[in-house]
Amino acid sequence: MVIKHQWIFKTESPWSDANQKMLVLDTGGWRTERPVLDKSLCNYCGLCSLYCPPQCMRDKGDHYEVDLAFCKGCGICAHECPKKALTMKPEGEFTNEG
Amino acid sequence: MVEATKKRNKIFDYFTTEDQFSGGVAWCAGCPLELIARTVPKVMGNKVVFVGTPSCSAPVLHGQNIGAWHKCSYLACVMTGVASSATGLSRYFHRTNQEATVVAFTGDGCATDIGFQTLSGAAERNERFIYLAYDNEGYMNTGNQRSSSTQKGAATTTTPVGKVGKGKPTAQKNMTMIMLMHKPRYMATANPAYMEDFAKKLQKAKELCKEGFVYLHVFSPCPVGWRIDSNSVIEVCRTATRTNWFPLWEAENGKPRLTVEVAAPKPITEFTKLMRKFSHLKEDGLAELQREIDERYALLKTLVDAAAKQT
Amino acid sequence: MKAKKGKISVMMGNVVAANVARLCRPEVVACYPITPQSEVAETMSGFVADGSLDAEIVEVEGENSAMNVCLAASVAGARTFTATSSYGLVYMYDAIMQASGYRAPVVMINVNRETPGIHAVSSGQQDMIATRDAGWVQIIVENNQEIADQLIMCYRLAEDYDIQLPVMLNYDGYYLSYLNEEVEIPEQSDVDAFLAPLKNQPQRPRIIPGAATGCGTHGMEMGYVEARYKHWAAMDRAKKKVDEIDQQFADYFGRSYGGQIEEYRMNDAEIAILASGSAAGTAKTVVDTKREEGIKVGLVKQRLFRPFPEERLIAALKGKKAVGVIDRSVGFGWKYGPMCTELKAIAPSIGNVPILSYIDGLANLDITIPHIGRVVDEVNAAAKGNAYQAVTWIPME
Repeated sequence: MVIKHQWIFKTESPWSDANQKMLVLDTGGWRTERPVLDKSLCNYCGLCSLYCPPQCMRDKGDHYEVDLAFCKGCGICAHECPKKALTMKPEGEFTNEG
Repeated sequence: MVEATKKRNKIFDYFTTEDQFSGGVAWCAGCPLELIARTVPKVMGNKVVFVGTPSCSAPVLHGQNIGAWHKCSYLACVMTGVASSATGLSRYFHRTNQEATVVAFTGDGCATDIGFQTLSGAAERNERFIYLAYDNEGYMNTGNQRSSSTQKGAATTTTPVGKVGKGKPTAQKNMTMIMLMHKPRYMATANPAYMEDFAKKLQKAKELCKEGFVYLHVFSPCPVGWRIDSNSVIEVCRTATRTNWFPLWEAENGKPRLTVEVAAPKPITEFTKLMRKFSHLKEDGLAELQREIDERYALLKTLVDAAAKQT
Repeated sequence: MKAKKGKISVMMGNVVAANVARLCRPEVVACYPITPQSEVAETMSGFVADGSLDAEIVEVEGENSAMNVCLAASVAGARTFTATSSYGLVYMYDAIMQASGYRAPVVMINVNRETPGIHAVSSGQQDMIATRDAGWVQIIVENNQEIADQLIMCYRLAEDYDIQLPVMLNYDGYYLSYLNEEVEIPEQSDVDAFLAPLKNQPQRPRIIPGAATGCGTHGMEMGYVEARYKHWAAMDRAKKKVDEIDQQFADYFGRSYGGQIEEYRMNDAEIAILASGSAAGTAKTVVDTKREEGIKVGLVKQRLFRPFPEERLIAALKGKKAVGVIDRSVGFGWKYGPMCTELKAIAPSIGNVPILSYIDGLANLDITIPHIGRVVDEVNAAAKGNAYQAVTWIPME
């Protein structure tokens, strides 16, 4: 038998290796709504970041900014924000931003 | 204008490492399991070795070919054998003086059903690892079937509501009490709505698993299966504790202690109204459910009070 | 270099297995007791209790856990040992497949016993047959000395870098497990010396805390195909490796078992019997007797059951005029016994000769000298062109 297959594993059995390859899903593409921050209302309490399941709220020193590459649009941040500084807005409003 | 004295929430001080998971992973939007999983190595450090099973966490814990979704070492194992596989790993790591925090990371279906025997065995042998069961009260990965952690009356795909069916006919297995009776070195319930409480317990778990078995039972409502709006999952978590549906407590060497005291618990209807898995229940069904929760809490409180008197 | 003369003792098979397992220095041991294996578990625990074995011993709550403990420790880098039988082997089925899929070099004793379905606390190879497609190497031995020697060789095979496969060492429950027999137990230093080459090979992959690698990743499409192919290829390589290790064992310890198969008086044989396990010992006696009667019969003792020793069997049986296969199990779905069915798969390479299937020795019914004598006579008649019965359940007639 002539094997044309390019070996995937260096190992005999299936092992993953994060050093060789980290996988990443475009979960930002799942979103139908995105959180929009009114910075004037934010008190930097961090609850949006703490409760964010994908942990995609980035610490900016005095407020948090959503990483839209990963935000799934679940809305927990806006729902939990004690200052109502975050609002979920439909993605349709941002279509021109690409 | 917000005060210039903005200070970071102290909960962040519990985090010892950066997020070990890839930014985009295949957990549903709003799933608290994602938050739980990301928090574990954040608090416990990157020497966490996950032992995982077929479950909602499998698509993320286990890689795809050589690709990985996180940077922790892990062993994927059969659903029956999580606790025993974790035993094999932790025994060998201890023997060879390799620093590791072995975390068996499974759902309630594994912990309370198919993997229960091996969990009980590992607890009885006082194996030195952490067994973390995330409880979404059913088999959610396979599409919302009932497990023995599904509460009475809940509508699932195997306990559907119909002309005859009224949801699950029997009450939830009281898993935390069962584990308490194993008298583990440390055990705790946790809830992602109470992050500091959760982080403290993870810290404690990491330390005490060097001495013996640790069991963590973490509340993890499923937005899809329970039919909850994805944005209110944390609210559901919080309400679960405020209604005594999911009390927060811990126990060292079998002595339970409440870590969050709820002065005036709300009626469970405050909890059940946030989801649709109980929406078919009428007054009598809800009253029965309330009784179940009250009884369960009374038992816990009795043991907590008894433990307090002992010390 | 030759091994020193070992200590001669009279020991039952299970105690032999435990004593030699200890000499192989397993680091993690997990056994769950089951008749007729229990003395293996007890003796291992006794060694740890008296300080003569430095191993992590896990008194598991079931066989499923025994295998999971071993496979997990094995993929972390440990040398492991477990022993089971029958219901126990079946109860660890998911973990058995996991062990082989992960290429965990677990060494396991399986004391052959009948399986669930009909309660039978008695010998039979049905348990081994039930797990033949699980991707393990399966070896069957004949007597207590062979248990001792093959167990050492099992570690050399399982942990060989080119192999990396779990190995199941089978011996007959009751017939060997409880048989007290004279056995030479090798010296510790000699077992160490024989296993030493395992230390001079590349490190197999293992779970290291913080190393960011994971065992048991999803095999996606060609990743799955590749892993299965490698497993299949390793099984194929294992055949020759069994022969090589047997030769090295013979050179060092002075005892040889033939590797994949043992051929007994096969050189000038016209007809052959194929048997395995303790029944092969009885068959040798019958071969000697029948030779005196003028029947040119030989015995092939099948030692390696998985992988199937295709090439060695063809070489041994080619040109023989008829073959009788004695199975100690039932091959549901086929008329013939499992070993006979498999032999028939290579029949074209042996020659178009009668292959007669015999089912015997189920449920502790002895495979006796008259039984095997009858097999020889019938195979001999078939070789001469007489009509024969394709399958015979000996105890039923």
